[in-house]
Amino acid sequence: MSTEQSGAGLAKRLFGNQQFLLLLVWFAMVAFFSAFNSIFFSTAVFGNILLDWAPVALMAVGQTYVIISGGIDLSVGSTVALSGVVTAFQMQYMMNSGRNQWLIIFVGTLIAAITGTVIGLVNGFLITKARIVPFIATLVTMGAASGLAIVYSGGAPIGGGPDKAITLSVPWLGPLSTPGIIVIAIVLVCGLFLHRARFGRYTFAIGSNEFAARTAGINVNRHYMKVYALSGLLSGLAGMYFYCRLGAGAPTSGYGGELDAIASVVIGGAALSGGVGKISGTVLGALILTTTTSGLIIIGVAPDWKQVVVAVLIAAAVLLQGFKSGTRGGSR
Amino acid sequence: MTSPLYEVRNISKKYGSVIALDGADFQINAGEIVGLVGDNGAGKSTLVKVLSGAHKPTSGQIILEGKEVSWNSPRDAIEAGVETLYQDSGLAPHLTVSANVFLGREKYLPGLLGKFGFLDNKAMNKEAHEDLERVGIAVPASNRSIAQLSGGQRQAVAIGRAVSWASKVIILDEPTNHLGARQAGEVLEVMKAARAKGLGVIFISHTLPHVLAVTDRIVVLRLGKIVANAPTNEFDAERLLGTITGLNQLQ
Repeated sequence: MSTEQSGAGLAKRLFGNQQFLLLLVWFAMVAFFSAFNSIFFSTAVFGNILLDWAPVALMAVGQTYVIISGGIDLSVGSTVALSGVVTAFQMQYMMNSGRNQWLIIFVGTLIAAITGTVIGLVNGFLITKARIVPFIATLVTMGAASGLAIVYSGGAPIGGGPDKAITLSVPWLGPLSTPGIIVIAIVLVCGLFLHRARFGRYTFAIGSNEFAARTAGINVNRHYMKVYALSGLLSGLAGMYFYCRLGAGAPTSGYGGELDAIASVVIGGAALSGGVGKISGTVLGALILTTTTSGLIIIGVAPDWKQVVVAVLIAAAVLLQGFKSGTRGGSR
Repeated sequence: MTSPLYEVRNISKKYGSVIALDGADFQINAGEIVGLVGDNGAGKSTLVKVLSGAHKPTSGQIILEGKEVSWNSPRDAIEAGVETLYQDSGLAPHLTVSANVFLGREKYLPGLLGKFGFLDNKAMNKEAHEDLERVGIAVPASNRSIAQLSGGQRQAVAIGRAVSWASKVIILDEPTNHLGARQAGEVLEVMKAARAKGLGVIFISHTLPHVLAVTDRIVVLRLGKIVANAPTNEFDAERLLGTITGLNQLQ
C-alpha cells in the first residue's frame, strides 16, 4: 500500500527503520568523539574498535537468539573466561609436546568451542529438564563457570601457547585480522539462519508464543537446548578470540561480557519479552557499544566507568523501546 | 455398525488428587459435527487436551479408525490427522499470517539451501492465501503479522490453519469467542464445510445457540463424567441448559 513516493514518505520510512536510526546514532557518536579528540578519526582507533567489537558481536549474536526465544543468558562472559582457560591449558600442553602450531590453534579453537557448548547445554538442561527460569539457570552457570576459571587457572593468565596465535590477530585486510574476518563470517551465517531458515523461524515462534509453538508440533525443549548451546558455542569462540589477542587464557577475559552482549541486543531493537529482534540490529548495537567505550577512554574518561556506561545504555535502549511500542519495555 | 472415526473409551485424568475426567467415553464419526458442552470445570478442556495429544490420560483407551493409539505429544496427533484449534492462544503474534499457517510444517527452498532448513517464504505466502481463501473466510494479506490483525481476522487465520491441515478430525475449542454475529456465522459455515469434506468436527462452546444451530449430536460433561450423548434434535435450549447444570436429567 506504499503509494507514497514523495521525499517526506521516504524520510518517514527511513526514520521508522531501526537499522537506519542506529547507523545515525553511530555516526553521531563518531562525530562527537572526533570533535573532542582528532585521534579518534584514525584507522588505528577504528581498527581497535573492530578488535573490541568482534568478541562482543559473537556473544551478542548468541544472546540475540536467546532473547528472541524469550530467555536470557547471563553466563556468556564467564563462558568466555572458562573456555579461554581450558583451551590455554590444552594448547600449553600441546606446545610442550612439540606439536605443529597451526594444529595447536585448530585444536585449541575446537576445545574452546566444545567448552562453551557444554556450558550452553548445561543451561539448556537446567531450563528444560530442571525447569529453572533462564535468569536463574544462567546466573548459576555464570557463577560456576567464572569460579571454575579462577580455580583452574589459580587466578593468573595461562600462557605458553603457540605464538602464531598472537600474530594471527594482526590486521591484514584493512582494519581486519583473520579472527575478525572469521567473526564476520559467523555473524553473517547466524543472521541468515535466524531470518531465513527454520531454526530462526522456530526461535521467533517460541519467543512469541511458546504454547502455539508447542501445539504446532515444534519440539520446544529441544529447541531451547539448541539455542543455549549456540550461545555457549559462540561465547566459547569468543574465549579463543581473547586468547589470540592476549596470547593467554585469562580468568578475567570476558568480565562483564553478559552486560555487553545484552546491551548490544537491546540497543539493536530486540524485545526482552521475546519474539522480536534482528541480527543487523545487534551488530550495530555492538558497534555503538564498543565505539562508546573506546571513545570515552580516548576523551579521557577512566576505563572503570565502562560498566556504568553500558548499564546506562541498556536502560536507555529499553526505555526507548517502551516509548516506541507504547508500553514500558521489559516489564511484562 | 462401522466403528467411529475417532473415540476415547473409559478415559480418566487425575491432576494430583483432583479428578478432572472420570471414565468418559466419547466418539465422533466422519462427516459429523459433535458439540461438547459443560459448565466451567466440567472437564471439557481436559478432554480436549487428551483428544489433541497435549495431555496423556491417567487411564483409558484412545482409538483412531479402529486402531488403539497413544499420543506422546500434539505432534503425534497432528501427524495422524487430528488438528486442534485452542482457545485464544493458538497463534504466534509476532509472526506473519503465512508463518503461522505453516508453523511446524514449513516449506523449504529446493536444493542444498532447503536441506539446511532455508524457507521458501514466497511459496508459503501464496499457499497460505489460497488455503485461507478455500476455507472461505475473510483473508488478511499473508505477510502481515498476526499482531496487526483484528480479533476476528486472527480467529479466521487460526481456523483456516486448522481446517486446511486436518485430514481426519478437527477440534475447535471456543472458536466463536470474541467474535461478532456475522463472523461467528462465518465460523459455523466453515464447520459445515469441514463436515461436507468428511471430517469429524468436535465443537466446544459455551454459546448454546451456536451449538444447537450447527451440531448433529451433543455430548454433555458434568464433573468429569458424560451425562448426556444424544442427537441435537432431542435438545432445545432449556433442556440443554438443564442438562449442563444438572437441574434436570435427560430421560
